[in-house]
Amino acid sequence: MEILPYGENGLRLVFGKEVSLTVHEQVRNAYLSLKALSLPGVADIIPSFTTCLVVFDGTRTTFGALAGLLREKQEEMAAEWKAPRLHEVPVSYGREYGPDMDSVCAYSGLTEEEVVECHTSVVYTVFAVGFLPGFPYLGPLDKKLFMPRLDTPRVKVPKGSVGIAQLQTGVYPFDSPGGWRIIGKTRLRLFGAERPPYSLFVMGDKVRFVSV
Amino acid sequence: MAAAIEVVHPGWLSLVVDAGRPGHADIGVPRSSALDGLGLAALNRLLENSDDAPAIEVFGTNFSIAFSADTTAAITGARVSAFLDGAAVEPWATFRAKGGSLLRVAGVAGGFRYYVGFAGSMELPRIMGSFSTNLECMFGGFKGRPLIKGDRIGIAEGRRVDRKAVPESHIPDMSPPHVLRILDGPEKDWLTGDSLDKFCNIEKNLWYSVSAKSNRTGIRLEGEPMAFREGAAAGGIVSEGMLPGTVQVPPDGRPIIVLFERTMGGYARAGVVTSADLDRLAHLKPKDRVLFDRVTPDEALRLNTARRGYISSLYKTIGG
Repeated sequence: MEILPYGENGLRLVFGKEVSLTVHEQVRNAYLSLKALSLPGVADIIPSFTTCLVVFDGTRTTFGALAGLLREKQEEMAAEWKAPRLHEVPVSYGREYGPDMDSVCAYSGLTEEEVVECHTSVVYTVFAVGFLPGFPYLGPLDKKLFMPRLDTPRVKVPKGSVGIAQLQTGVYPFDSPGGWRIIGKTRLRLFGAERPPYSLFVMGDKVRFVSV
Repeated sequence: MAAAIEVVHPGWLSLVVDAGRPGHADIGVPRSSALDGLGLAALNRLLENSDDAPAIEVFGTNFSIAFSADTTAAITGARVSAFLDGAAVEPWATFRAKGGSLLRVAGVAGGFRYYVGFAGSMELPRIMGSFSTNLECMFGGFKGRPLIKGDRIGIAEGRRVDRKAVPESHIPDMSPPHVLRILDGPEKDWLTGDSLDKFCNIEKNLWYSVSAKSNRTGIRLEGEPMAFREGAAAGGIVSEGMLPGTVQVPPDGRPIIVLFERTMGGYARAGVVTSADLDRLAHLKPKDRVLFDRVTPDEALRLNTARRGYISSLYKTIGG
């Protein structure tokens, strides 16, 4: 684990350069430990694929003080946490729900049934939640479904859309612009600002898609 | 009649904001705070509100509201020429609006975004701990959307406060050109030395200009594109957590300054605007000239200390 400064109010915990489940586990353990520690002056913790960003209030602590504290807690932060939750996400694939299904079939050389089979046969890991509130970056996707993003992002991807991009898959919690290839849609509500826990998914959760 | 304000004209964009929505970035929820934090804080001090009270963030002219009952109000942030039933309103000072009166902003003389607030509590719900509008996801603020003509917001616990004003000498400078002091970003070395020299161009006097495509999520800059070193992944980094004020460089080389509406990013980060200059970002408007000045962490610390000194002397003039 490397501890690096970022701006005046950021501390990056860097666990590796490449995306892997091993690095992910380390990020997750650190994230859950940091949350449990609730250190004074820490305003936000943003875990992602290979790093965990600690955003702190510079009037209450400093990079040096925080880095020292985290080095002391390094062992604690490596401790394993309880197994993540597994979500089943019902998806209507293709047709009007998945406007890019045809181009994904053409690119991969698979039939629609094979694409669905491929997408539903993996238990994915939530590597990060971001871009939009509640948006899960899921992976790794089967290499057979690898496909680049759209050259020109859509102005509006409907809420609930299930997309793939490179070796990732994800679900749009809101209507939003987006460049991922849309292959289906879920009725599940991913985010609600009214009450905790707000987001259906948290970093570290596992997800399986089910064709309905 | 209960005190309330009614929007007669929303300007180009008016939004309810407060000091922000921290603590939820791990599930992708950004801060959505007022872009000019000092403008908002000074407003709340003038009005004797708490620091976490909301206000209306506006840009553009013609913003007008009608008061249903006597209310103490103030405008901070950009210097505007505003009129209360035809009488000029002083910037960065409280004024007393009578029931039935109309406040209208006729022009913006310096800066871009301004803040309109009231002594008392705007009757709005706190969502995820904040009154700020998350425009993209449509929650918080007033029904999760910008204000439009006819919107009515109640003002509870309205108070008359003694007249207070920030003296001319203490109102921050918001006019272009904007000199932004920046610290090195994590991927600074991905860019060529020549690019970095030109980017941190205070001596060479090379300017960027603010693109009309800028919005509350990011300020896009036009100018000579930055170039990536050979072997650097110009396509970007593995997405990770991002701080407001980060200067991102997408593959096209045109820098984008990230504001308070994103928690993660995937482009190379050339620099980070110092905390002393963050509030200034609220006042970068299309076509303004921007100049970057690279500083060391020690210099940033000194700038920050000086900034805090200035803020506390400003607060002293208000008497808070």
